[in-house]
Amino acid sequence: MEAAALPMSRAGAHLPAVGLLMRRAVYEVVRVPGAAIPGALAPTLFMLGLTATFGNLTKLPGFTTDDFMSFIVPVGILQGATFSGAATGVNLARDIEQGWFDRLLAAPVPRSALLAGIVLSASLRSLLPITMLLVAAFALGVEFPGVGGLVLAIAIAAAFGAAIACYSTALALRFRTQAAAPLMQAGAFMAVLFTTSYAPLELLTGVLHDVAAVNPVTEIVEAVRQGFVGGVTWGGTWPGLLALVGIGAVLFALALRGLRRTGR
Amino acid sequence: MAAIETRGLVRSFGDVEAVAGVDLDVADGEIYAFLGPNGAGKTTTVRMLVTLLRPTGGTARVAGYDVAERPDDVRRSIGVALQEAALDPLMTGRELMRLQATLHRIPRAKGRERADALLQRVGLVEAADRRVGTYSGGMRRRLDLAMALIHEPRVLFLDEPTTGLDPTSRQAIWDEVRKLNDEGATVFLTTQYLEEADRLADRVGIIDAGRMVAEDTPSALKAEAGRPHLEVSLAEGDKRQAEGILARFGAVPATHDGVVSVELEHGAAQVAQVVRALDEAGLAVGSLDLVEPTLDDVFAAKTGHRLEGAGAEPE
Repeated sequence: MEAAALPMSRAGAHLPAVGLLMRRAVYEVVRVPGAAIPGALAPTLFMLGLTATFGNLTKLPGFTTDDFMSFIVPVGILQGATFSGAATGVNLARDIEQGWFDRLLAAPVPRSALLAGIVLSASLRSLLPITMLLVAAFALGVEFPGVGGLVLAIAIAAAFGAAIACYSTALALRFRTQAAAPLMQAGAFMAVLFTTSYAPLELLTGVLHDVAAVNPVTEIVEAVRQGFVGGVTWGGTWPGLLALVGIGAVLFALALRGLRRTGR
Repeated sequence: MAAIETRGLVRSFGDVEAVAGVDLDVADGEIYAFLGPNGAGKTTTVRMLVTLLRPTGGTARVAGYDVAERPDDVRRSIGVALQEAALDPLMTGRELMRLQATLHRIPRAKGRERADALLQRVGLVEAADRRVGTYSGGMRRRLDLAMALIHEPRVLFLDEPTTGLDPTSRQAIWDEVRKLNDEGATVFLTTQYLEEADRLADRVGIIDAGRMVAEDTPSALKAEAGRPHLEVSLAEGDKRQAEGILARFGAVPATHDGVVSVELEHGAAQVAQVVRALDEAGLAVGSLDLVEPTLDDVFAAKTGHRLEGAGAEPE
């Protein structure tokens, strides 16, 4: 018998495998839409519910806009991404339980490429809830943030979804069971909760204010919020990008360590 | 070069030693069956050999590569079909074949060609574009086997390949394994089915409680376990007289349920002589049964207990 594989040295040679793993995640959405749509609708429902409940907060002195829905849409965008990121870990735990993940581990694919395929699928899947949310928001009168603002918001959110997927993947590899799902979801939810998601920093009090002031995710929220509230500036963007790169690097390293330790 | 070579292979989980110093030598082109009951250490050994589990002691080389030091080289050289064919039910057979080809970095055109040929080979062409969730257990196993072959591996690992299959599906897998071996693949399979090991393997390794207890060809192992027994039911005549005649051919254990038996000293070749001797003595034979030792007898002789479900047909 003879090997039919390409030589190993070519850079980017595993990109097709990364792409196929991402495509597999899309099958789950496209082929069982009934299972995917309720979760994808959640950020839209949050946006509608929060706007109805807290819409008058904008009347407080110091609130940065008079349209609460425009203020909360970026949070919904990030929620869509974080939910997709948490779901990635839950799905991985399922794949571990069912033995599918062994098939990937037994293939000659670098662990970093496997991880990239898994976590980037979260970015791809996050486009569904984000799109649903934006369609609803614009239909309800949220002002268009401009192409640049929209692309920036979606790109940052999708990348944040991948970072959260690293976190949930690390937990899936550690616990190897779907029973760890609440931990993955709670972590992802709290990452966005303790920020300026629901009110400007100046209006927050107590522990929430203190945590939001130092939480790097606050910078990400504010970067995504540009265009929806105020204009898009480099000064408002780079702290978010820096936070994203830092959080992403740490969580990717954590997940990669978990992947490399699998089977030890 | 040996296809598989282990020396003192150990895998512990805390205080439990699941594999406790296994030595294996599997030659290129061999079908080697690893036989043992549930929990004997078969799957743990296979998981170490296919790089899914790191040994905690000893060494293992597969296709010439150390599993701990050069896992990627091992992965490129092996095909793996693990227990409970793990296939994504939402994907079609063809999509899974192409995914496997991509994971092994087979160029796209070649991958499609290989996938189509293998689907044809395992009889799944018509079902290739159906979701795997609609496949039967036998179809899933055949697809799993085809996926393991996409990159033309040198060594094929099959972990309990026919567990839970009906007899027809089981036979189809056996036929395919034999064909693959004829084409040059080394096959390492684990099984708890005696018949599977007996019919497929060039050599059998028997493992119990993490330790190898015997290893040889099926016929040599069975010969070691004892000689064949001839069981004689008389249509008419004196059983004591029959015992006297049978004693000329070997040891005669106590008669039970009207059946007289003899452990043939020189094997099955003596059957005709026994029948002639009984006939000459005027004893009418109702039925004859030649009972060969089984691998279960070997297992019992080596371990003091029998394999779970021994003697029973696989489901």
